[in-house]
Amino acid sequence: MKRGLLALAAVAIALLILAPLRLNGYGMDLLYVTVLSIGLAYGWNIISGYAGYFSFGQIAFFGLGAYATALLVARWGWYWVPAALAGGVVSVALAIPLGYAMLRLRGPFFAMGMFGMAQMVRVLVTAIPATGSGAGLFLPPGSGITGVYYWTLAVCLGGIALTLWIDRSAFGLRLQALREDEQVAATLGVETTRAKITAFGLSALIPGLLGGGYALFLTYIEPDAVFSSRLELQAIVMTVLGGLGTVWGPLVGGLVMTQVSEALWARFPEIYLMIFGGLLVALLIAVPRGIVPALAARLASTRRS
Amino acid sequence: MIVLQLAINGVLLGGVLALSALGFNIVFGVMRVVNLAHGDVVVLAAVFAAFAFAQTGINPLLLLPLTVGAGFVVGALIHRLLLRRLPGEIASAEASSLTLTFGLSYFLTGAGLAAFGGRFVSVPYLTGAYQLGPISIPQARLLAFVVAVGLSLAFALLLRSTTLGRAIRATSQNLEGALACGVDVDAVRTLAFAIGTAVAAAAGTLMSFLYSLNAQQGVLFTVNAFAVVVIGGLGNYTGAVLGALILGLTESFASYFLGATLAEAAPYLLFILVLLFLPGGLRGRRAA
Repeated sequence: MKRGLLALAAVAIALLILAPLRLNGYGMDLLYVTVLSIGLAYGWNIISGYAGYFSFGQIAFFGLGAYATALLVARWGWYWVPAALAGGVVSVALAIPLGYAMLRLRGPFFAMGMFGMAQMVRVLVTAIPATGSGAGLFLPPGSGITGVYYWTLAVCLGGIALTLWIDRSAFGLRLQALREDEQVAATLGVETTRAKITAFGLSALIPGLLGGGYALFLTYIEPDAVFSSRLELQAIVMTVLGGLGTVWGPLVGGLVMTQVSEALWARFPEIYLMIFGGLLVALLIAVPRGIVPALAARLASTRRS
Repeated sequence: MIVLQLAINGVLLGGVLALSALGFNIVFGVMRVVNLAHGDVVVLAAVFAAFAFAQTGINPLLLLPLTVGAGFVVGALIHRLLLRRLPGEIASAEASSLTLTFGLSYFLTGAGLAAFGGRFVSVPYLTGAYQLGPISIPQARLLAFVVAVGLSLAFALLLRSTTLGRAIRATSQNLEGALACGVDVDAVRTLAFAIGTAVAAAAGTLMSFLYSLNAQQGVLFTVNAFAVVVIGGLGNYTGAVLGALILGLTESFASYFLGATLAEAAPYLLFILVLLFLPGGLRGRRAA
């Protein structure tokens, strides 16, 4: 069973690596957006799923990564790969002090506090003249989607590997302990502040790294495009659908959701938000714990009988 | 002089913000649910009022009973059909109600955009102003303020001296105690959510005199209500009035001195600063 799964994963990764050879423009865009969304969902899952700190503002780090990369490439002529890396560094550099302040809040206070923080980052980025303010920023063409795709795929796979490690490590156990009861975890000797901030930093690193690729993909960025509530909502819905705080939840939820989302976006752009929001509500009531835990429970019960 | 003028504008805005926050506060107090769809109800009522006014020219104050009634029914339905069905045994019950109202918020935004389009609309009602020397008091703002204060007082009376009000306050203060005294907590919750939504709809109708809005502006009013309630102390109804005045004044001064773009961030900044440095609000108990 285990060997079979490993082989399946190897084949899937090989196919993903070879995909640019066969896919045309639209197929490539779709694949890129799918991988990007799944990557964002993995980033969100660490702080919100494993550590239990629901954040409605992780998109701030995505937007920050995108703007950092765009500035470095467009104004200082950097090659895009180090610029995108720098986007991740900038995000983590902001996330650590921010985490010290914000992670003292809990539950809805943290969730909305982060939402407010994301809005402030968006407004502040817009207020800097070098970013072209609200008008946006053009990036020089030429990097091409293939490179951006490989970059995004690497970050996404890295996110999955990181989650696999967290799920099995003492660090992951510490996060889950503080998710279930922070005071008890602290009494048992868990350094809760350090664990939370590490999780928050990792949750900022992934969108920070992905943001730069997105800026190059768009070739023109403006605040609403990268501080995108649609991408944020999508990452949350995917993770909740697949299974919050599970290794494979974001992947399963992401694969299902991008197909649904693509069909809806193409066919009903005007009621897209409405359907998406309604779907999130319906899912919470139908499969409150997500697809992966529900399937696992079913598998376990058939094996027992 | 401009300072006095800005202060008056801020206070008048604060009255309507206080009404909106009352709806948010009762839901949190009774159910411990942060209703992220609160602001969407506010703007949907506002946009609806603007459209009804444009179509029929009806006096927008007459729309108030209609939007309040609709808000009450919708709120009761949301609680009965959705919130009550959330499984309680999941460790993160709070997270699931947060996610549910988050999804609901997008649903309402999308529905509002589909029904009314994305154009910014308002009710051009009583566009004149009273002149008191160099100070001008816009009539529409004054009317919205007066009605909001009246509704808030009625709300306070309901909470203070009716059986329902006592049941609501009992449930907010001590769930087990209320259950032990024979309060039908489930019914109280439905009523509280219905009243909260109705109050949001009332605030939205009045908001349409003050602002041009479209269905996407809901988040702003959720954050405003949240900020007011956090400043005043969660579950503290008099504190919320103070919070609303502070926020109204902040918005009024920030939009004059900082310009529109930076002023957009002012309520968020105030919200975060209060959360971090005064977690119990100005006069409330310490929040969790």
